[in-house]
Amino acid sequence: MMFISTFMSFGQSNETPNQDTSLRFLEDIGEVVISATRTNKNQNSVPLPVVIINREEIINSNFVTLEEAINEQSGLITIPDYGGGEGIQIQGFDSEHVLILMDGVPIIGRLAGTLDLKRFNLGNVERIEIVKGASSSLYGNEALGGVVNIISKSPEEGVRGDVNYRGSTWNTHDINTNLGFSKDNFGITSFFDHNRSEGYDLTPETSSKTVSPFYNFTSNTRISYAFSPKTSLTVTGRYYGQTQDYSIDSSNGESTIDEWNVTAKLDADWKGVELCGEVYISDYSTFEFIDNAQSERVYEARYDQRLFRPELRSVFNVNSNQEFIVGIGLNHEELVRSSFWLDPSINTLYSYAQYDASFFKEKINFIVGARFDNHQEYKSQLSPKVAIQWNGSEKFNLKTSLAYGFKAPDFRQLYFDFSNSSVGYTVLGYNAVPERLSELDNQGDIIEIIIPISEYRGKLQAENSLNFNFGLNYNPSKKLLLDANFFYNRVKDLIDTRVIARKTNGQNVFSYHNIDEISTFGCEFNLKWIPSDNLRISSGYQLLYAYDRAAIDEFNSDNVFGRLAPNQPVFRLERSDYFGLLNRSRHMANIKIFASIPRVNCDVNLRGTFRSKYGLFDSNNNNYLDDFDVFVDGYSIWDIALSKEVLGKFRVALGMDNVFNFTDADNISNIPGRSIYSKISFSFNS
Amino acid sequence: MSIKFNFILFLATSFLIISSCSDDDNGTSTPPNPPSLPIEQYSNLHADQEVDYTTNPPTYSGEFIKFDFGTGSTTTSETDWDIAFRGTTILVNGGDTTGIAEEPLRTGNAAAYIYDGLFQDLTEVDESLLRLDDMYDGLAIPTGSGNGWYNYSSMVITPIAGKVLVFRTADGKYAKMEILSYYKDAPAEITNTIALSDNRYYTFNYMYQPEAGNTSF
Repeated sequence: MMFISTFMSFGQSNETPNQDTSLRFLEDIGEVVISATRTNKNQNSVPLPVVIINREEIINSNFVTLEEAINEQSGLITIPDYGGGEGIQIQGFDSEHVLILMDGVPIIGRLAGTLDLKRFNLGNVERIEIVKGASSSLYGNEALGGVVNIISKSPEEGVRGDVNYRGSTWNTHDINTNLGFSKDNFGITSFFDHNRSEGYDLTPETSSKTVSPFYNFTSNTRISYAFSPKTSLTVTGRYYGQTQDYSIDSSNGESTIDEWNVTAKLDADWKGVELCGEVYISDYSTFEFIDNAQSERVYEARYDQRLFRPELRSVFNVNSNQEFIVGIGLNHEELVRSSFWLDPSINTLYSYAQYDASFFKEKINFIVGARFDNHQEYKSQLSPKVAIQWNGSEKFNLKTSLAYGFKAPDFRQLYFDFSNSSVGYTVLGYNAVPERLSELDNQGDIIEIIIPISEYRGKLQAENSLNFNFGLNYNPSKKLLLDANFFYNRVKDLIDTRVIARKTNGQNVFSYHNIDEISTFGCEFNLKWIPSDNLRISSGYQLLYAYDRAAIDEFNSDNVFGRLAPNQPVFRLERSDYFGLLNRSRHMANIKIFASIPRVNCDVNLRGTFRSKYGLFDSNNNNYLDDFDVFVDGYSIWDIALSKEVLGKFRVALGMDNVFNFTDADNISNIPGRSIYSKISFSFNS
Repeated sequence: MSIKFNFILFLATSFLIISSCSDDDNGTSTPPNPPSLPIEQYSNLHADQEVDYTTNPPTYSGEFIKFDFGTGSTTTSETDWDIAFRGTTILVNGGDTTGIAEEPLRTGNAAAYIYDGLFQDLTEVDESLLRLDDMYDGLAIPTGSGNGWYNYSSMVITPIAGKVLVFRTADGKYAKMEILSYYKDAPAEITNTIALSDNRYYTFNYMYQPEAGNTSF
């Protein structure tokens, strides 16, 4: 079963940890960050909570895909969904409320709201920036809980390349190469990756695997050309394709994903004003089917989403301390999928502006900005943001921000038209209700219309949030960094389903409406410490409360009841029995210890993450997660890795993920148990 | 070096302390008040039904099992019954035919509503809430997960805690009922096997007020 590869291959010398490792470790707090303001800023001067995962951490930890890197950051975790995807959770927000960008442009392709982070190989990723809290003032839709920006490599001077191979348990292989060339005003860099795995099975007694065998291919190429010192063109293209094979009893199926995008960006400097014109087009399509033992097709589904987004933006520096950013753009989205009322196509025109300034000898940094999204199908959105930082001294600063975030109703919530063939219920998108419910009624399928059709002649509202952060940074010496951030999010108009009509078959017609209000709040603490030149330690902790406002009202009104078992007597629950939202852990923590052993030119690291107990479903069926429900126990995962440079151009790594072989087959599908890997990298440049 | 070592130890231990933290906080249950009328329990009322999945939507059929609060037992009488069960559907002997297959004829004056609260807390029937079965407004006790007395998830029908069914009987008396289980012998845990093969067996508690016109329990 265990597969330990001894296969040899190759890596990049500028990727290997060097003598400055310790310094860079602390300085990464002072790294350049682009996602927070859309201009390059030093992380120290951005008055927002930002996390950076740099190339060094990616290399040292031997990460393959994005979800592995995310799971080791403070307050971040990925949550597996029923379709096998893993989406991020930030400040208690789930994946559908977090915007994922690649080099600043939005990634599409969500399954029931989840954007699967396993789609992103880190082989060519320079750094990952995560801005926590609402950022709709710059990015619009989906940026409530935060923004993750995956920044890929740019062409570097000369000829460079690397080849990497990583083999691990479950016959999992990842092989990739980066090739780059840059001279004078022309540069090109390409990345190719192939990843395959036999998957794994936490439940051998069932006929289907927990994760079925898959293989995927990623390719990324960027070409840049400078027409003049002030004008340049960059074209980036990405392709990702995955095939996964399913086998359940005697049925066989397959699901494929094809994603591609192209960005063309023209940058110009005109009399001190930076101008940028960008055209982005992306397509995400899936196809899946199941054939029975007689090779008859029993299930087939298609999904094809496309985004076209031209944008113009400009940065204008009033002086060295004041900067204006303005932008205007258009989102054109199309979708073709099974079980839809029509094939939707939506245009959103948007514009944004931001003023960024520092005052009093840079003691105060100040940002104010807003964005306006003019939409056809939901109420137009104005998303303001204000943030301020006070630098008390070189060792101490305070930052606070207040921002609005929103998520537009998705295509499913607007246009779904689905009837379950075995049970008989129907789900209709909000915009499909007037026409489709009348049709069902005329066909004699409806006994009773509970919510009048007239309620569906308006527009569904966007889900929206107000986000507040307050943080402190303390940097007492060059060897120690401490920070804390307190956050509060109030979310309104969350879209949920409700019964709108009863059918003659005893089942219901469901549709979507704005109802739920939630709040999430808590705090996060981080520490970075260099006890000696060869030892670096970082640790983080997040405390989180996430509540449904209506649930709190119900508990306070003594309207919630429970039973210890189906045949036990009923009792009334107290407010203190309410645990909160599903899948949110009260406590999450991590620790990372990186050490170098110069004598043998080796690097070792130990990394641990912990999450406390959480609820996966309302096991006692009273509609709320309370202390009498069945919880998933808290757990911790520990990883170790050892790496060594050989002959300057090679890096060899050996590691073990999930050392203590933690699994929970009933509740956690994305933790496969202990795995052992080896990785070999070779790099060259001239 | 020892200070550094202590700090590492501190980190490691605080990590362990956090790991072992849990916030269990058990709530309190209210003991039931001793009632003047007896609480009766009826076990394993077998309300089977046939489902034809070849049609879309599926067709449900089978005989409704009728229950009479006065005698505290099931009955095959055409007229002398109060409520009737088939699968998760509960009818009252009052109102009109609703169009369900093999529906018994309603000849009585029965009605129902659902009270949210504890069984023992319902001491007085609110007559204004009583509903009849009706073709246009549906059943007095609605079907469907979360609509009436049960939730349906992961193949299991669970009675919703705090839902008390309040009935006016066919002859104008009152009863309240709490469904405990939908599975044979009311097992504490519903395994997949039980969910598939031992379903449609009602166990319920009820209290019957035999005095005509008395709405108190």
